[in-house]
Amino acid sequence: MRAAAIAGTAIPKLCATEQIEAFGSCRLCLVQIEGVKGLPASCTTPVAAGMKVTTQSRQLAEVRRGVMELYISDHPLDCLTCPANGHCELQDMAGAVGLREVRYGYAGANHLDAKKDTSNPYFTFDASKCIVCSRCVRACDEQQGTFALTIQGRGFDSTVAASQNETFMDSECVSCGACVQACPTATLSENSLIEKGQAEHSVVTTCAYCGVGCSFRAEMQGQELVRMVPNKNGQANHGHSCVKGRFAIGYATHPERIVKPMIRAKITDPWREVGWQEAIAHAASELKRIQREYGRDSIGGITSSRCTNEETYLVQKLVRAGFGNNNVDTCARVCHSPTGYGLKNTLGESAGTQNFDSVMKADVIFVIGANPTDGHPVFASQMKRRLRQGARLIVADPRRIDLVRTPHIEAAHHLKLRPGTNVALINSLAHVIVTEGLVDESFVAARCETPALERWRQFAAAERNSPESMEAVTGVPAAQVRAAARLYATAGNGAIYYGLGVTEHSQGSTMVMGIANLAMATGNIGREGVGVNPLRGQNNVQGSCDMGSFPHEFPGYRHVGDDVVRATFERDWGVRLQSEPGLRIPNMFEAALDGEFKGLYIEGEDIAQSDPNTQHVTAALLSMECIIVQDLFLNESAKYAHVFLPGASFLEKDGTFTNAERRISRVRKVMEPKSGHADWEITQSLANALGYPMNYAHPSEIMDEIARLTPTFAGVSFERIERLGSIQWPCDPSHPEGTPTMHVNEFVRGKGKFLVTEYVPTAEKVTAKFPLILTTGRILSQYNVGAQTRRTANNAWHQEDRLEIHPHDAEERGIGEGDWVGIASRAGETVLRARVTDRVQPGVVYTTFHFPDSGANVITTDNSDWATNCPEYKVTAVQATRVNQPSEWQKRFREFSENQDSLLQGADVFVGK
Amino acid sequence: MSRVTIYVPGDAAAAAVGADETANAITDEARRRGADVLVVRNGSRGLLWLEPLVEVETPLGRVAYGPVDAAAVAGLFDAGFTSGGRHPLYHGPTAEIPYLKNQERLTFARVGLIDPQNIDEYLRHGGYRGLRAGLQMAPAAIVECVTASGLRGRGGAAFPAGIKWKTALGAAGDQKFIVCNADEGDSGTFSDRMLMEGDPFVLIEGMTIAGIATGATRGYIYLRFEYPHAHRALNRAISTAYARGYLGADVQQSGRRFDLEVRLGAGAYICGEETSLLESLEGKRGQVRFKPPLPAIQGLFGKPTVINNVITLASVPIILDRGAEHYRNFGMGRSRGTLPIQLTGNIKCGGLVEKAFGLTLRELLYDYGGGSLSGRPIKAVQVGGPLGAYLPESQFDTKLDYEAFADIQGMLGHGGIVVFDDTVDMAAQARYAMEFCAIESCGKCTPCRIGSTRGVEVIDRLLNGENAAEQEALLRDLCETMTYGSLCALGGLTPYPVRSALNHFPEDFRRRTPARAPG
Amino acid sequence: MSSDEHLIKMANDIADFFRAEPLREDAIGGIVNHILKYWTRRMREKLIEHLRGDTAGFDDLTLEAVRRVAAQMAAKDAGTASA
Repeated sequence: MRAAAIAGTAIPKLCATEQIEAFGSCRLCLVQIEGVKGLPASCTTPVAAGMKVTTQSRQLAEVRRGVMELYISDHPLDCLTCPANGHCELQDMAGAVGLREVRYGYAGANHLDAKKDTSNPYFTFDASKCIVCSRCVRACDEQQGTFALTIQGRGFDSTVAASQNETFMDSECVSCGACVQACPTATLSENSLIEKGQAEHSVVTTCAYCGVGCSFRAEMQGQELVRMVPNKNGQANHGHSCVKGRFAIGYATHPERIVKPMIRAKITDPWREVGWQEAIAHAASELKRIQREYGRDSIGGITSSRCTNEETYLVQKLVRAGFGNNNVDTCARVCHSPTGYGLKNTLGESAGTQNFDSVMKADVIFVIGANPTDGHPVFASQMKRRLRQGARLIVADPRRIDLVRTPHIEAAHHLKLRPGTNVALINSLAHVIVTEGLVDESFVAARCETPALERWRQFAAAERNSPESMEAVTGVPAAQVRAAARLYATAGNGAIYYGLGVTEHSQGSTMVMGIANLAMATGNIGREGVGVNPLRGQNNVQGSCDMGSFPHEFPGYRHVGDDVVRATFERDWGVRLQSEPGLRIPNMFEAALDGEFKGLYIEGEDIAQSDPNTQHVTAALLSMECIIVQDLFLNESAKYAHVFLPGASFLEKDGTFTNAERRISRVRKVMEPKSGHADWEITQSLANALGYPMNYAHPSEIMDEIARLTPTFAGVSFERIERLGSIQWPCDPSHPEGTPTMHVNEFVRGKGKFLVTEYVPTAEKVTAKFPLILTTGRILSQYNVGAQTRRTANNAWHQEDRLEIHPHDAEERGIGEGDWVGIASRAGETVLRARVTDRVQPGVVYTTFHFPDSGANVITTDNSDWATNCPEYKVTAVQATRVNQPSEWQKRFREFSENQDSLLQGADVFVGK
Repeated sequence: MSRVTIYVPGDAAAAAVGADETANAITDEARRRGADVLVVRNGSRGLLWLEPLVEVETPLGRVAYGPVDAAAVAGLFDAGFTSGGRHPLYHGPTAEIPYLKNQERLTFARVGLIDPQNIDEYLRHGGYRGLRAGLQMAPAAIVECVTASGLRGRGGAAFPAGIKWKTALGAAGDQKFIVCNADEGDSGTFSDRMLMEGDPFVLIEGMTIAGIATGATRGYIYLRFEYPHAHRALNRAISTAYARGYLGADVQQSGRRFDLEVRLGAGAYICGEETSLLESLEGKRGQVRFKPPLPAIQGLFGKPTVINNVITLASVPIILDRGAEHYRNFGMGRSRGTLPIQLTGNIKCGGLVEKAFGLTLRELLYDYGGGSLSGRPIKAVQVGGPLGAYLPESQFDTKLDYEAFADIQGMLGHGGIVVFDDTVDMAAQARYAMEFCAIESCGKCTPCRIGSTRGVEVIDRLLNGENAAEQEALLRDLCETMTYGSLCALGGLTPYPVRSALNHFPEDFRRRTPARAPG
Repeated sequence: MSSDEHLIKMANDIADFFRAEPLREDAIGGIVNHILKYWTRRMREKLIEHLRGDTAGFDDLTLEAVRRVAAQMAAKDAGTASA
């Protein structure tokens, strides 16, 4: 069939799609092959040289028509009012085979009375229209890997069923939309499509949720979005999607979205709606006033991993050139800054080494401190496909993540370590590799610095790092560590995937180095199927780091103290630039509390919810004189702000995102900004108002400047992205189409450098007073601080953050399922409801942080990574007790929030009002 | 007086007509009379109208009495049957009964003769000689021998076994499997069951040889759960074979491994289709796979797999023992060796007849079967299970041969023959064929899933006389769609009984009253 | 925790990493380089200022490293001034 398609010959079909394996059930694609008996299905018959195939003949036409006649004898004839009208494949095929009558009549047995399942908030399952092609079932199995759907009953009674004949919502369905996408009829249709009808045009863009960076077609009716459809040509997602990117888009028009600028003198004042000019002028004059009063370094800016590359670049340029200091940081500070540091110092580049497709060549997959099925669902589906093909799996995680055991997949080893002991574990893995002769000697000899290697070898071999010695620290049985190390080192291509469970620790950077060491030692770097792969939490974590939003480096990870680099920027930007690094986010708070830091421009980031030790953060915010928040909503930080600049959603602007595999993809404007301005325009206005001129007409001009000033981006332009679909940097004259796999012949830094990674226990220790360790994570349906997903129907899956606690610990404390539990740490106290589960180990409790009043970060401390100050979110010593009322903080928080809401009363600033 | 050995079949067919009670009655009666009697539960001889067929070991050989129900036992003792005494149920030496004497029993040579659970008797009667020969041969030579014998799949499709084996032998794989299809589900068939109950070791031996020939180290017997007797017999025999070193890590000190276990099906007819069977064996829904890939290349769990029917595999030991030539000398044309035919339905002498290919249907029906049980003329026979064509009297001279049957739009299938007398309603039979397909369809492909249900509806309208000519044309079109459009043989063959009934018995379809479902 | 205490903790955390260097000189060099590269001038000045008054809470490696940071900054300033 594919061969025929390539040759330009269309063969009728219903059960085949490009995304799933051939199935051979619809019997429309039958052909005649010379020398072959009967009429083989073209979808399942492999093409061979010399094969003579007839795709149209009288007999074929009759059989196809006969089959179609059977289909239609059990299908409603409401085509004119059907949501699939216009894209129904059954209708198309009936036309293609020339069906003119259904001689069976419609009085026979049928499924026309089958009930609709409307349990899912985003799509409807109308069984009466089902043709039992199994495309949905196969998409769920093969593409998504959840195995939630099945065909129930046999023969004529065959029907699609979710789990054990449950509703879609009650079943194991994760609402990824693959089934909806696969359905050839209206059986599975988006509710938005049912409501609005067919789109009249569509625009390809990139999802603004996680670091997978899925490509979507935004299907539009004028300025209105009908639905998001995963782009089958998307190079990161290959036509797959998850519940967030596919469906959770409603936030962009949520009634709480603010579309008009507002200012106020004090945060206790009501907000006052103003025009753009006034807002910008006010913000600029305040920033200038503060600099006059408190010095040049008393203001700064924070950009976000949710902004486009162009926006982030502009914010750091505004700070460096406009503010005249280097006080710019990004929320990557609190997630993957250790990745940048650790990989730069070992491999030479602050980025993952592979593309996603590389996983399909991995033989052993080592997942450390990441929960791909929740955090990076579309990539997780690809990983699961590879695991079902037989790749082995090692998981290192304190908690039993879904991947440990999921349909047709079981981890060979689950290293269930105690939170905070990552480095102890990686060192004991290294010990096994070094002492059992598993080092790839020819690789390290050729590719790595010898003295550093030998130093590391000695360090790793030390008895204190043996699995037996470390067992008491990590809690992982030594034999299991040894087995896992052998598997990783000897099973062929070994690929490491890691997430925030690695970075958000006091030794986050050390752990990243430890991972790089392990990959180098086993020769698992520099080709497909291997590598060190950070899974980035947000859509543009990689990009925001690349764009120079860290206070110590210019775009392309070049230190501000490098005179040659700085001179390049000074020439291009026409200003003198500081050679000293600026403040990191946590340092900004310290400086604020010291009275030295007074003004802050925050674009697309919510530090008051997402940063640790909330009370410390809010105290710092309260001490400042001008906080400018640019966002879609009055987020937690905006409640402390003096200027609110309404931002644009990703649907409302042009730009690029860079995903976890360094893939730069286009974000395209599909509708006009609701506030009238795209975010880059707002930053540009602010710069101009501050007296630093910026005159970009389009984000492509910003990218041209980035390319001009950043060697790794030298070949990147909107025009080239348009042509190639996307580009993985480095993209330069020697890699004009980008670089899917890095460090192929040599490391970016020349020779790979092993670093010694001594285990240093965190200062956050369990005591009699705080006997449990709290660790945090994410869930599939919600995203980060939830500002977007909480404003969608995704709440149907996750309405509140819960505290997971082991039955043993719960029993000891008299805590039952659903009880309110007070969680106290050295930093603060909050209250959550309990979920009693053995997913967590005894002594460890776990929660997500998607809802602001959960106060997960009220408890987290200001311990941080030694190198980057990335907060130690993953380890907090706590006590949990059964309570019957919210914590003091929560009471204050609610009061404050209600008060802030009241300061918005009467303001006519919301979307669509 | 020395001990007398008395054989009472333990076979399920015999048990169904009271063989267990008969055996108990013999033991009780012997005790009462102080007679020294050893009751052996053998397999069935396949003379089903005589079951329970009791045999007594006498100096003249084994003599037969049948059918012997429990009530007849005392009378038999009175007649001195322990020493071969005459009685109205006496049939003389078993081997001389013409029904049996005229057969050519190769595969079923030991069935009914020996205690099926006694491996030593199995060995005494030529058992494991095939394996011994096989262990001396190179794998390719075994495959060549099976190919040369002309053995074709006895499950129905009649695909040459040697070619299948050769493909599996040549396929690369760290693990290969031998799967025995023991999901015998065709109407009127029981040869698999009879063999598994009556001589389980020959199947085990055949599978072991298949394993050694193709490099497969693990075998599964996929057995329908409706066969509890066979299940017990196989499991006991397998554990004996393990204990005696005929299975396991080192088969007869050859250094070759072969492990074997029985898996039970869940009662779906479609799981007798080889690819559905593999799905079911993997623990999935029994749904047809498309081919290619052939199971011999990508079969069970995606590994190279030989999947053969019970009779096919059980025929292998004698081929290896006596040589390909010996087996090949039986039969005609491209149908070599023997076929165990199962005569059932409205027939006087129902049972198992193993004969070389080439005898005619008429010989079978009258010389062996003795005509219909009712004494009325035989109107039609269905050969090859529920998907086989209905053959009218005019075709009774067709020779039992795969190609000869194909020529008359029929098929030999698994060798089951169901006989109908002139009271049968062939329209109801045609309707039943569609209904059977509707009930057993896996639901994967459209022609079978919807077509079978529509088929029943169309026949109903046809019989109601609603636009009969149009309905018949529609039925024939539907048959074309199902024949050419279906994914597997279930939907593909259902038109055979339907069309043959339409063609040969058109008068049965010309009626104004609604058809009743049979039964 | 006051901001000075924070700075001391940050410096000590850095020292904890470099302590694994076999040569003390390399360890101190690592700390110095890290602080110069990633800290703002003002943070360094505050820590140096604090050190002049009180060495409590300083790890011995940290102490030595901060002294060298102070020296290098002074030298650089002098260099800049003279230039």
